[in-house]
Amino acid sequence: MNKNVYSVGQLNTYIKRMFEEDFLLSNISVQGEVSNYKCHSSGHIYFTIKDGQGAMSAIMFKGNRPRGLQFPMKDGDQVVVTGSVSVYERGGTYQIYAREITLAGAGDLYLRFEQLKKELEEMGMFAPEYKKTIPKFATRVGIVTAPTGAAVRDIIQISKRRNPFVELILCPALVQGAGAVESIVSGIQRLDAMDLDVLIVGRGGGSIEDLWAFNEEEVARTIFSCNTPVISAVGHQTDTTISDYVADLRAPTPSAAAELAVFSFQEWQQTTNQFASLLYRGLEEKIEDCQNRILAFEKQFRYLSPANRLDEKRQYCLMLEQRLERGMENLIKDKRQCLSLLAGKLDGVSPAKKLAQGYSYTADTSGKAITSVSQVKSGDALTVYVSDGRIQAKVMEMNEDVKWKI
Amino acid sequence: MENMTMEESFQEMEHILGQLESKEVTLEESFQLYKQGMEYLKHCNDLIDQVEKQVKMLSDNGELEEFEEV
Repeated sequence: MNKNVYSVGQLNTYIKRMFEEDFLLSNISVQGEVSNYKCHSSGHIYFTIKDGQGAMSAIMFKGNRPRGLQFPMKDGDQVVVTGSVSVYERGGTYQIYAREITLAGAGDLYLRFEQLKKELEEMGMFAPEYKKTIPKFATRVGIVTAPTGAAVRDIIQISKRRNPFVELILCPALVQGAGAVESIVSGIQRLDAMDLDVLIVGRGGGSIEDLWAFNEEEVARTIFSCNTPVISAVGHQTDTTISDYVADLRAPTPSAAAELAVFSFQEWQQTTNQFASLLYRGLEEKIEDCQNRILAFEKQFRYLSPANRLDEKRQYCLMLEQRLERGMENLIKDKRQCLSLLAGKLDGVSPAKKLAQGYSYTADTSGKAITSVSQVKSGDALTVYVSDGRIQAKVMEMNEDVKWKI
Repeated sequence: MENMTMEESFQEMEHILGQLESKEVTLEESFQLYKQGMEYLKHCNDLIDQVEKQVKMLSDNGELEEFEEV
């Protein structure tokens, strides 16, 4: 009996030290299925992680949860637990102390996404020729999203602000977790049957797992075959899902989807008012134009009217009369001048003047001028005209003489 | 006009405005165009039922209920 005997506590401490000195066990990741999941009132999480070959207890302390566990874990989840393996001395059991738990295959999600995207793209489901036009003036808008949360609130708020007269019909849907795909698909189909103008399908932001339903083929196919135009609005600007590719229009956020689906009543009113005033102005201009043409015609007609013509003739007559008068006056003046000229000339050759210069004019008793001796005989009575009277004379003797040369 | 969408009506109104502005249109025609334009405007207004709408929620049994945010 020379063997040392140890207490149970001592042995467990020894084993624990062995575990802790092991480099691999201090930081190790293990994959398995969650079972016996329990969240203690203290905030610590207890569960068993198992696979076909074995099982191991696992614990995550409350302090590690905010950073280490970012999805709602439940039994059956395939997870990867990262932490250290150590011994719980009181129970003599070893367990893994989890620092981080992630869904197994989270890294695969991206691959699945790319694969489905490629597949659907090759089928032409993203092709622009299949995109339906989003109506500019939708009056009935269907919404498939969770009935609580920021997404539905934002959509309703923005829609109401833009246009309170647009009818919004919400089909509440599960947007993440089990049953989300079926819920979204049935929501789209039910609203599609209601003959609405446009549908908004989406949800608010979240992790890639949260948004995953919108990356499922069934949702994509439902959106593709929906007769109503669909606007997808999943997560934030940076999240792009298969639904976004297949939808007729992608909105970066639910708020943006509401902006795209619901037209602004105010802008619409401005447009119609503008039409009304343009229409009115168009007519007014036409009338004004006609009035101006009427005025122009009136002017022309007045100018060409018989009264106007009569006036014109009258004026012409007056003018002619004046010309005639003036012509006549000139003529008379001319003649008068001519006459006085002639009178002057006549005066120059007047016989009376000659009488005054000593010449006289002799006539017989009958008044006939005596120009030759042959016209008289002795004793004939003669009258001799001189400048200031007559002399009665008698022929005493006649002598024919040389002719006077004048 | 009854079956025309708002966008079609808007297009029609643009067309009418274009005609109204052209010199060839007679005064009688322009009155007709104006009347037509006003009818399209009225139609657009009729298309928008200017009664404030409640948000409706489609229930599981297919009925529309008033939606109240929780």
